[in-house]
Amino acid sequence: MDILSGMLNGFQVALTAQNLMMCVVGVVLGTVIGVLPGLGPPATIAMLLPLTMKLDPTGAMIMLAGIYYGAKYGGSTTSILLNVPGESSSVVTCIDGYQMARKGRAGAALGMAAISSFIAGTFGVVALMLVAPPLAKMSLAFSAPEYFALMVLGLAMVVLLSGESLVKALLAMLVGLWIASMGTDLFSATSRFTFDRVELLGGIDFIIVAIGVFAVGEVLGSLEPSKPADMLPVPKGFRNLLPTWEDMKKCRFAFVNGSLVGFLIGILPGAGSTIASFMSYGIEKAVSKHPEEFGHGAIEGVAAPEGANNAETGGALVPLLTLGIPGSGTTAILLAALVLWGFKPGPLFIQDSPQLFWGLVASMYIGNVLLLILNLPLVAVFAQLLKLPAYMMYPLILGVSIVGVYTSSNSMFQLGLLCGFGLLGYLMRKLDYPTAPLVLGLVLGDSMERALRQSLMMSAGDISILFRPIPSVLLGIAALLLAVPLFKRFNSVRVQVVDREA
Amino acid sequence: MFARGARALALSFAALALAAPAMAQWKPTKPVDLIVHTGPGGGSDLLARAMVTMIEKEKLVPVRINVLNKPGGNGAVAAAALSEKKGDPHTIGLITSVWIAGPLTSAEAKITVHDLKPIAQLMLEPAVFAVKADSPYKTLKDFIEAAKAKPGQLKQSGGSVTSRDNIVRLSMQHATGAKWAFVSFPGGGERLAALLGGHVDIMVIEPQEAGEQVRAGKLRVLAQLTDARLPGWPDVPTLKEAGYDVQTTPQIRAVVAPPEQPAEASAYWEKTFDALRKSESWKKYVADNQLEEHFTNGAELKKTMVDIEKQLKDAYTQAGIKTVR
Repeated sequence: MDILSGMLNGFQVALTAQNLMMCVVGVVLGTVIGVLPGLGPPATIAMLLPLTMKLDPTGAMIMLAGIYYGAKYGGSTTSILLNVPGESSSVVTCIDGYQMARKGRAGAALGMAAISSFIAGTFGVVALMLVAPPLAKMSLAFSAPEYFALMVLGLAMVVLLSGESLVKALLAMLVGLWIASMGTDLFSATSRFTFDRVELLGGIDFIIVAIGVFAVGEVLGSLEPSKPADMLPVPKGFRNLLPTWEDMKKCRFAFVNGSLVGFLIGILPGAGSTIASFMSYGIEKAVSKHPEEFGHGAIEGVAAPEGANNAETGGALVPLLTLGIPGSGTTAILLAALVLWGFKPGPLFIQDSPQLFWGLVASMYIGNVLLLILNLPLVAVFAQLLKLPAYMMYPLILGVSIVGVYTSSNSMFQLGLLCGFGLLGYLMRKLDYPTAPLVLGLVLGDSMERALRQSLMMSAGDISILFRPIPSVLLGIAALLLAVPLFKRFNSVRVQVVDREA
Repeated sequence: MFARGARALALSFAALALAAPAMAQWKPTKPVDLIVHTGPGGGSDLLARAMVTMIEKEKLVPVRINVLNKPGGNGAVAAAALSEKKGDPHTIGLITSVWIAGPLTSAEAKITVHDLKPIAQLMLEPAVFAVKADSPYKTLKDFIEAAKAKPGQLKQSGGSVTSRDNIVRLSMQHATGAKWAFVSFPGGGERLAALLGGHVDIMVIEPQEAGEQVRAGKLRVLAQLTDARLPGWPDVPTLKEAGYDVQTTPQIRAVVAPPEQPAEASAYWEKTFDALRKSESWKKYVADNQLEEHFTNGAELKKTMVDIEKQLKDAYTQAGIKTVR
C-alpha cells in the first residue's frame, strides 16, 4: 500500500467517532499524567492495559499512544512553573523554563513548550510515515561503540551547561557519574556503592535526583533570604501570556533542531528521550548568538528540548513498528499490548496490519492538533498558579515533589534520598556549583559505561573498535566542544599578556 | 485467658477433624496485594496484571487484587516487602528465577526464597538459540565448531551475567570446550538490535519474539532450550536433540506468600491458581505468548527452587562469578 492510499485509509480509521473519542481520552490522560511528576506513561499504560482488553485494539492502541505522546506535552508544565520535572524528558526544560517563570514569562514558556511540541511532534509523525523502514535499517548500524561516542558527545556538553567555572561544572558532573555507577553491575553482578542497603541494589533513580536537586534545592534556597520573596508578575490577558512573534522568530532554529535531534535519537533503541532533550539543548546553546542568556530564561532553551522529546515519540515508534524492537520502557509495554490483542509485532507488522498502522499514524496527526488546542488555553490556567504567595507556593512544590517520588517508588527510603538530594542541591546553589551537569552525568553515565564495556567485549579488548567511522565523527565533535573553553582561556591569557606588555 | 486457650485448642482439633474441607473455608475478606519486583510495564508486572484480569474474568477470587510494584535490586526489594508482611493471608508475590539468582551474588539481598512460603509454580519460560538469517551457521553444531576454531571471537548478546542466557553459554562452553564472548545488554530490544545489526553472532531469545523475526526472514532458530519441542516449533531440535545434553536452568514464574502465612490461606491461594491455569483465558494467554504451561503445588515448587539455586550456584562458581551465599 503506498503512502497516499495508506494515509487515506488511516484517516478513515482514525476519524470514526469511536477512535476519535479514544484519541481524545488518550491525549487528555497523557497531558494529566505528564503534569503529575512521578506518574509516567509506562506506569499509566501498564495499569490501563487490562482495561483495554475489552476494547477494539485499534482504538486501544490509539488511546495508549495518545497517552505516550500526550505526556510529553504535559511534562514541561511543572518544570516551568515549579522547577519539578514532570517527566524525565522534561528535566532539561527546568533550566530555562523555570528562569522564564521567575521573570514573569511563564505563559510564554508554557506556550512555547506547547507550540514546539506540536511542531516537532508532527514532524516526528511525518518522518515515521515517510522514512520509517529505511531509517530503521540504518539504526541497526548503531551499536555499542556508536552509543559510547554519542554519550561522550553528550557529556562534552557539560562545557555548555557550566556557569562561570568549568572546574565546578566538571566536579558536579563527576558526582553525577558516580551516582550513576551505584547499584548492581550488569556485567559482573557485583554491588557498587550500595552501603549494604537493599534499596540501592537497583541504583538511584535519576528522576529522584533531578527532583531533589532542582525542586527541593530551590525551595530550601529560597527559604533563606530575610526579605519576603516577591510575588511573580503574571501579565493580564490571554494574548499577553502567549509567546510573541519575536519569540517565535527566535525559536526558528530550535524547532528544526528539536525535530531532527529528537527523531534521530528516538529511532536508536539504546538512547531515549531524556538524552534527546539534553542533546538538543546543548546544540541550541552551541549555535546560539547569545549563549550567555541560556540558564537565565532563554526561550530557545525551552523550545529545543520540548520539541526533541516530542519528535522522539515518533522516532521511538519506528523500530517498534517496523522491526519489532522496543527501544524504551513505554514502547516495550506497547509491544506487549500488541501481543495481548493478538497482533504480531515484528518486521511484517505493517504489512499484516495496515489498518492499525495507518490508523495509528493518522490518529497521531489528529492527536497533536488536539494537544495544541488543549494545551494553549491551559497556559492561562497554569500561569495563574504563579500568583500564589511564597508561603503557599513552596509547600506546593515540596508536596508535588514528595507525592511524585512516592508514587513512582512506593518506598520511604526513596523519600529519604529525595531529602538528601534536596540538601545537596541547596549546598550546590550556596557554593555556586551548577546543578545541570550533575544531572547530565547521571543520565549519561550508566549508558556510557555500559556502551564502552560492551564495545570492548565485542572487540575482545581492542580499543580500535571505538574509531569506526560514526564514533570517530562523534568523538571528534566532542573533542572540539571540549577544546573551545581551552581556546577561550588561552585567548584571554594572551590578551592579558598583550595588555600587560602594552 | 485459659478459656480462650481451650477454645483455640478445641478449634484446632475441629480443624484437624475436618481437614481438607475446613482448609478451603478461608476466603480473602479485603483487597489482596500481589507484589511484583518490576516497575509498571516490566515482564512480571505485565504478567501480574494479565493474571488479575483473568482471575476477575473467571471470578476466582471474591475481592480485588492490586498489583503492588516493589522494584529494585533484582527482586530483593520485593522479597523484603513480602517478608515484612509475615503471616498476612492477604498478600502474595509473583516471582521469577531472578529472585533465586539475586541473593546468590548480592549480600544486600538478605531475604531469599527459602524465607518465603511457596504456593505454586505457574509456568516455564522457554527460549531458543537464534542467529541472523544470513549467518553461516545452519545448526548449533556449526556455531560451536566455529567458536572452537576462533576461540573468543564469536559473540552472544544477552542480559546480566547471572541470567539464564549466560548460564546456558557457560554450560555449553563447559561441555564442548568452545569459547565465545557474552555481551550484556539491559533491554531485550537492544539485544535483538545487536543481533539484527550483525554486531553479535547469536542470542537466546523468547520464542514469541523470535517467531515474527523468523517469519520475516530475519532470524534463524538453531535449537530450543526446552525438554521437549514446543508446539510452535516442531522442526527445531531441542539442545539434547542437537547433540548437547547440557543442563539448562529453568526460568520459572511462580507464586509465593509471606513467611508464616496461615496454612488455610496458602491452601486457598494454591487452589485459586490451580483453577486459574485450568481456565480457557489462561490457556490462550500461554499459547499467545508461547510460554510453557507447567503447574506444580507449593511443596514441589520448594524442591524446584532448591534445585535451581544449586544449579545456579554451581554455574556461577564454575564461571568465577563471586557468590555470597
